[in-house]
Amino acid sequence: MSEMSYMAPERLEDALAAKAEHGAHARVVAGATDLILRMRDGVLRPDLLIDLRRLALDAIELDGDALRLGAYATHGQLLADPLVAAHLPALRQACSEFAGPPIRNRGTLGGNLVNASPAADLVPPLLAYDACVILDSADGRRELPLAAFFTGPGQTVLRPDEILTEVRLPLPPAGTGAEFIKLGQRRSMAISVVSVAARLSLGAAGEVQVARIALGAVAPTVVRAAAAEEALQGHAPDAGRLRAAAGLAGGAATPISDPRASREYRARMVPVLVRRALEAAWSASREAAAHG
Amino acid sequence: MAEGGIRCTVNGQEARFEAGPERTLLQALREELGLTGTKDGCSSGDCGACVVIMDGQPVNACMVLAPQAEGARIRTVEGLAAAGGLHPLQRAFGETWAFQCGFCTPGMLMSCVALLEANDRPSRDDILTAIAGNFCRCTGYQAVVKAVQQAAAEMRGGEGPA
Amino acid sequence: MTAPAVVGRWVSAPGAAEIVTGDARYCPDIRLPGLLTGKLLYAPHPRARIARLDVGKARAIPGVHAVLTHADIPGENSYLYAEPDQPLLAEDEVRFQGDAVAAVAAEDERTAAAALAAIEVEYEPLPGVFDPLEAMREDAPRIVAGEDNVIMREVYRTGDVEAAFAAADVVVENTYRTRWAEHAFLETEGAVAQLDDEGVLTVYSSCQAPHRDRMQIARALGLPESRVRVVTPYIGGAFGGKDEAHVQMHAALLAHAARRPVRLIRDRRESILTHVKRHPITVECATAASRDGRILAVRARAIADAGPYTNATYEVVNKFGEFIGGPYRVENLEVEKIGVRTNNPISGAFRGFGAPQAAFVYESQMDDVARELGMDPLELRLLNGVETGTRMYTGVVVRAGDAMKASLRRAAELIGWQGRTAQERQPAPQLRRGWGMATILKGSGLGRGLGDHAGVVLEMHRDASVVLRSGAADMGQGIVTVMAQLAAERLGVEYDAVRVVRADTAQAPDAGASCASRQAMVSGNAVLAAADSIRATLLGLAARKLRRDQAELDLRAGEVWADGEPSGLTVRELAERASAWGYPLHAEHVSHFEYPPDVPEASYRFSQEVFQFCTQVAQVLVDCETGQVQVERLVAVHDAGRMINPGGVYGQIEGGLAQGIGYALTEELVVSEGRTLNPSLENYVIPMALDIPALEMDVLEFPEPVGGPLGAKGIAESPIIPTAPAIRNAILDAVGQPLYELPMTAERVLAALDRAAPGAEDG
Repeated sequence: MSEMSYMAPERLEDALAAKAEHGAHARVVAGATDLILRMRDGVLRPDLLIDLRRLALDAIELDGDALRLGAYATHGQLLADPLVAAHLPALRQACSEFAGPPIRNRGTLGGNLVNASPAADLVPPLLAYDACVILDSADGRRELPLAAFFTGPGQTVLRPDEILTEVRLPLPPAGTGAEFIKLGQRRSMAISVVSVAARLSLGAAGEVQVARIALGAVAPTVVRAAAAEEALQGHAPDAGRLRAAAGLAGGAATPISDPRASREYRARMVPVLVRRALEAAWSASREAAAHG
Repeated sequence: MAEGGIRCTVNGQEARFEAGPERTLLQALREELGLTGTKDGCSSGDCGACVVIMDGQPVNACMVLAPQAEGARIRTVEGLAAAGGLHPLQRAFGETWAFQCGFCTPGMLMSCVALLEANDRPSRDDILTAIAGNFCRCTGYQAVVKAVQQAAAEMRGGEGPA
Repeated sequence: MTAPAVVGRWVSAPGAAEIVTGDARYCPDIRLPGLLTGKLLYAPHPRARIARLDVGKARAIPGVHAVLTHADIPGENSYLYAEPDQPLLAEDEVRFQGDAVAAVAAEDERTAAAALAAIEVEYEPLPGVFDPLEAMREDAPRIVAGEDNVIMREVYRTGDVEAAFAAADVVVENTYRTRWAEHAFLETEGAVAQLDDEGVLTVYSSCQAPHRDRMQIARALGLPESRVRVVTPYIGGAFGGKDEAHVQMHAALLAHAARRPVRLIRDRRESILTHVKRHPITVECATAASRDGRILAVRARAIADAGPYTNATYEVVNKFGEFIGGPYRVENLEVEKIGVRTNNPISGAFRGFGAPQAAFVYESQMDDVARELGMDPLELRLLNGVETGTRMYTGVVVRAGDAMKASLRRAAELIGWQGRTAQERQPAPQLRRGWGMATILKGSGLGRGLGDHAGVVLEMHRDASVVLRSGAADMGQGIVTVMAQLAAERLGVEYDAVRVVRADTAQAPDAGASCASRQAMVSGNAVLAAADSIRATLLGLAARKLRRDQAELDLRAGEVWADGEPSGLTVRELAERASAWGYPLHAEHVSHFEYPPDVPEASYRFSQEVFQFCTQVAQVLVDCETGQVQVERLVAVHDAGRMINPGGVYGQIEGGLAQGIGYALTEELVVSEGRTLNPSLENYVIPMALDIPALEMDVLEFPEPVGGPLGAKGIAESPIIPTAPAIRNAILDAVGQPLYELPMTAERVLAALDRAAPGAEDG
């Protein structure tokens, strides 16, 4: 039985150097809430664990017209953060419904992304806010749209020598409203059966300048409902248009059955939840426009 | 790994134990430090029986790698009672029948203590949210709400329950 | 002038201080010098032949102290809850995912895991039988060689059912299905075994029946029971799931083989895969009623999935049949009860023993009948409910039945049943609100004709402190508190003066299992009788000292009272006197569950005759687009006969309601071809704090005239029983559509709505 090594470097360079050296045999540790389960079940058998806890990667700050969220920030930190509350209410909502307080205090933003679960709760709102991920390696840094990060269940484009260090989001423009809806089997400690995030940014005339709709737990990765977004683009919404757009969202879903729900149920919930999310986002965006 | 094992503070005392990254804080507390008050209900972060307070926040001890405890301040159920006797919340749990089998109690207490330290007048919703990761199969949660509010009132100084 | 009574007072449990400080020791907390870790290797297939089993490599691993297969068991290789058909370690075949094939003991967890991994087993998977109907066919493979797949098939009939159906104005006939439910006691099954220098095997056991464990351990090891001792440490819940033994015999076998103490604890996944579940039952039920609302007859046929082994299937299915008529005057009833083996998870005891499944059926039928008749469900229940003196369809006479209608009326009052229609039924376009009730009766005790007794040993010391020794396991349900209160009450000492020794077969007589809501009654009576014997000695001494007639004296709060006033003479002085002069303040008593002799010959077999009554009313909000059900209010009114320990009574009710909500809406072990797909607390969905509404509980006290200590009756099982049908009837009221399957998941609710509006899902 091979012994596993553990390091908690104080400089990012050291973490990146270790990752460069050990590649896929090294796993990055953030909150460890998923890693522990996978190691126990034998799914992961890393030789080296690189803990990010000393790297101060948990800052949440405004940088010009972008928000920078450190990958090591926990769900609990995001939930309590005033910038998140002010600018990213749908992300905050997702954090508040994630697991329960003790897990929220450990599980991190970066972990939620790198695990690449199709049901990851933070991903739909981040996609709706046009998030980018910062991937660092000893060779340098790359910045990718979050939408290009996931390739399948548990799979991402993260290279074995890279570490996800930060999530960057443009500050949503004035006149933005967003909503996250999680359909779970209970109100806490639930894995999403279906989740939806929707964001609408309205122009001066009330027309939709940006529409974003992201769906969780209905495809191999969290997906955007492009057809539904297009149906809203440039139009001033009304209830009928939102409903019609929601109806188009189902096209992006290719759900499976599992013990939580059947494929049919998930497919049927997509337009329902998208419509509700759009209605709430529209209402919030008009409010924001009126007060902006 | 740090030479000489992992050092941290447990219930105000310096503690040191040997544990590799394949072990969890829960295993270290129970097996290395003999603090068996913290319970193992699932080892998966699903039940909350192992909640301890780590650097001021309630966490599932089964979801912390043992080496991640290096330098941390950890509080467990064994540290709640002071020389003067039981913590008001401990007394209230017994008086209100906030448990029956008691296996969820250590974790439930730690979640509620963390809440009371942040909020001295918690509402029913505040309490239910604070224990939303703590599973109780015997009693449910209403009696816990009663116990926390009774303790909060006592800690504020003798007022009746909120 | 009165002294405060101990009975009926809110007291803390005797172990409360240990529990809140973390000092309470449960099985996993026990530390012994040289303690080894035990582990079991479980079957990966629901049905397979074991072609080869080789433990040689495992035994050779350094740090491994014992590796056992069925061939290493010196005694009997079987559990013995009822029939000896479940092996401790599988021999030639595994029959469900919970069968163990080998046991190891090693220096630590890691070495034990390595030993399990080194055991070589070749399985030849066999086609399993997963459908009870298929298992009942003549040509079905035998699940257990030489045993019929049908474990039980009995019909109970009373009255003239055919004539009653022929004369009925209304017949409601439906098919119901319930699924496997998991106890999810928070402490998984565990045992610690240690062989001492004198050859006595001590087993610390997280269990409900320490003396039966002792029998089973002795039987497995081929030891006399005199060489086995079972001790119950603190126990983290059970709910029927630890009624049968689990790993006690394995731990004992390992300790015996390794000559070292062994601790064997199931992890959560193993726990869910191995121990018994609530039986899934498919029920066809027809109810006949007259136009004016009288229930004329009930006919039911129930097929229960037992899994591969007998376990408690007879008892559970028999109780199902016993309660299928509900707390109603039903003169004509026929129930066919069938229990069948399959290669699915094993089923057995779980809080209520078949009564929750029965209540889901009969209380759903009642609301369907009410709708057919256009009658208020409350009125229908009041019209047909039993009363004191009613002879039930089982032949049993209800001796204290006034609580039935009283609980209905009180629950209706609390929820505002009459005024409910004034509330908003459709607070948003997709939301529907509704109200539903269910009322039940459930018996206490094992049943007439079964050995149902409990012994205690009680001793008062010279300082008037008291030790109570009982074999009754306290898994959290509170029997220790109840016994301490009863002893204190009768001996006239403070509650704190009584110390209860947790059940230990070396110290206490058998009290039977802590099941069937029986201990408060049968052990309670034993405590009263033992205490009365000591009390008589104390009062005799007091009478002489005070020169009063013994009948004028009483013992309360540590003092002798005469004519309603404290006399100044303390119980302690009496105890000192007794000790000095050799009067025994020591008593042992065995109580038997009491049954009055008024049952006719054709009565139901093993009938229970002391009844818990309760009514629950739910208010729900149904989201018609998602199928999600929110329980907004839940009112529960229970009859406790007389409350001995209010904290425990309310705790049992609250916990039962929480379990009931789960059973109603989300809790289901999803099983496919014998494999459990969600063996975790993450995926077996139990309601958490935010899912439970504010619970409105009330307790009625209608004293039990026969066999209830001070009028008390068992309360443990009833709280979970009416919850699911109350919620089901509330959903029916909200959306107009009945459901016939548990749990009522969002998907099933949506399917019911689709039946109302075909094609709606496309719109």
